[in-house]
Amino acid sequence: MSVDVTGVDRDTLVRPIKTFSNRYVAALAVALGLIGVWLFFYSQQLRNGLIVTNLADWGSGGGVPWGLYIGAFIWWVGIAHGGIILSAAVRLLGMDTYQPVARLAELLTIAALTCAGIFILIHVGRPDRLVTSVLPAWPTRVQWSPLMWDVTVITAYFVLTATYLALTIRYDVNRLRDRLPNRLEPLYAALTVGYTETEDEVVERMVWWIAFAIIIMAPLLLHGGVIPWLFSLLPSMAGWHGGVQGPSFLSIALTSAVSGIIIIAAAFRHAYGWEELIPRAVFQGLAKWLGFFSLIFLWLQLQQVITGIFAAPTTLQHATEVKISTPLYWVAIGLVVLAMLYAFATALRPDLFDIRALVGISVGVLIGTLTEKVLFVVEGLQHAHFALYDGVPGQYVPSPVEISAVLGTVGIVVLFFLVVSKVIPVVELHAIEEHEEVDA
Amino acid sequence: MTALVPLTGLLAAVAASVAGLAPAPTAAVPGAVPLSAEYTLPFVGPGTYLIFGIVLAPVYAMVAAWFIGDPSDRFAGLLGVGYLAGLTTVLWGSLFVATIIIGTVFF
Repeated sequence: MSVDVTGVDRDTLVRPIKTFSNRYVAALAVALGLIGVWLFFYSQQLRNGLIVTNLADWGSGGGVPWGLYIGAFIWWVGIAHGGIILSAAVRLLGMDTYQPVARLAELLTIAALTCAGIFILIHVGRPDRLVTSVLPAWPTRVQWSPLMWDVTVITAYFVLTATYLALTIRYDVNRLRDRLPNRLEPLYAALTVGYTETEDEVVERMVWWIAFAIIIMAPLLLHGGVIPWLFSLLPSMAGWHGGVQGPSFLSIALTSAVSGIIIIAAAFRHAYGWEELIPRAVFQGLAKWLGFFSLIFLWLQLQQVITGIFAAPTTLQHATEVKISTPLYWVAIGLVVLAMLYAFATALRPDLFDIRALVGISVGVLIGTLTEKVLFVVEGLQHAHFALYDGVPGQYVPSPVEISAVLGTVGIVVLFFLVVSKVIPVVELHAIEEHEEVDA
Repeated sequence: MTALVPLTGLLAAVAASVAGLAPAPTAAVPGAVPLSAEYTLPFVGPGTYLIFGIVLAPVYAMVAAWFIGDPSDRFAGLLGVGYLAGLTTVLWGSLFVATIIIGTVFF
């Protein structure tokens, strides 16, 4: 099934490239402002070290060297996942309803993965450590270290996504070239190097296979595999350990990813008058997916809570009791419950559906999933099997430096979309072509 | 009762080794069942099998399909491989350049 895009022409598709408004400048200013605030705080971290974050060592935050930075890293990787999975599903499963938002979703993957990488980069202290420490150790440590598995698979995932985008954009750029700005001709020439129309069928088959690789690797082996293994393989942390973390991480990732796509798609729809290009039906469909993923998220939380408090090993029971007595945890769960109820209610009563309300719900879900992930990381460390750090003073509270990094990365994603939307079409030509062919 | 001897021997050996009293359970308790040997993989550590054998397997299938099957095209296949290799190089190469600059400017 596809959505009705009757009346949408190619000029509508390139509208973001052709227009320049005060609202665009305002969004640019906000994005640069957020990045500026983060860079101000980050310069303090570079000058004084990680001590300004309370994450420097075991002694500065109640024995918690991983906090908001790692929570935000998982969160951004999760958001990244849904994007490309949605796009891959359009290709593999014929879910044409979502074709108008497929490229926005691919772009969200690239932007979000970049932000995830930034959190690793800033958390290692000196940024050059990724090259001076990680690279030399990689050949031997990849055999044993989940951290090295993580670096390897995140790199592969980023490269696959960018290749997917680079191959699919050739078709669009070639056909829309007369509507694209001449000053960017060298870039377009590079993007379409060696292009002939005879390659379309071959490239379509190639990207089908990329979609195939991604839809297996990303959900099952990355966010349901390597990322949770960073935690679940550590038996010394009761709250982290166990195979349930794979599906649990994946459910959180998909829930946040659908929320991210809803927000980005709604922003473009509103900013460029794309009511016909991204119809209401797309958001109604995304709302149902949000409801379904929220349900799975909540079900897996229930699994962990029940197994953690009913005749669990002592330390797991303690960790779970701490978790369910933390008010913030229930705020996070409540935000996801709200999303689920809204999605199901509007499925039953479509007249209740409102895109602005869905965007608000989605923002709430993103706040909830970030909160849950940070609590997971911090409380997992605070309630380990061993009592070595019980006497460590202090209590972990995210510092302004860390909070500014979350805001800064949000600014980077906004800036990324503002820039990319001026360079390439952010909706695939395929989304309107079926209609064009019928008209012809 | 005889059937329980191996079990009680094993329990005693485990309890003793947990307490740090007996380094070798089979030697300390006559008739004890030996603990199974630690599971190990040959040649390299488990991560190599896990990452390059399982996690990246879909990528191998993808690249193979680019060149095998119909329709396929040598130029398009090489372009795809070029993107994979080029983007990986750009990603880590730019970090390497940044590292050189940091080393030169600050240290």
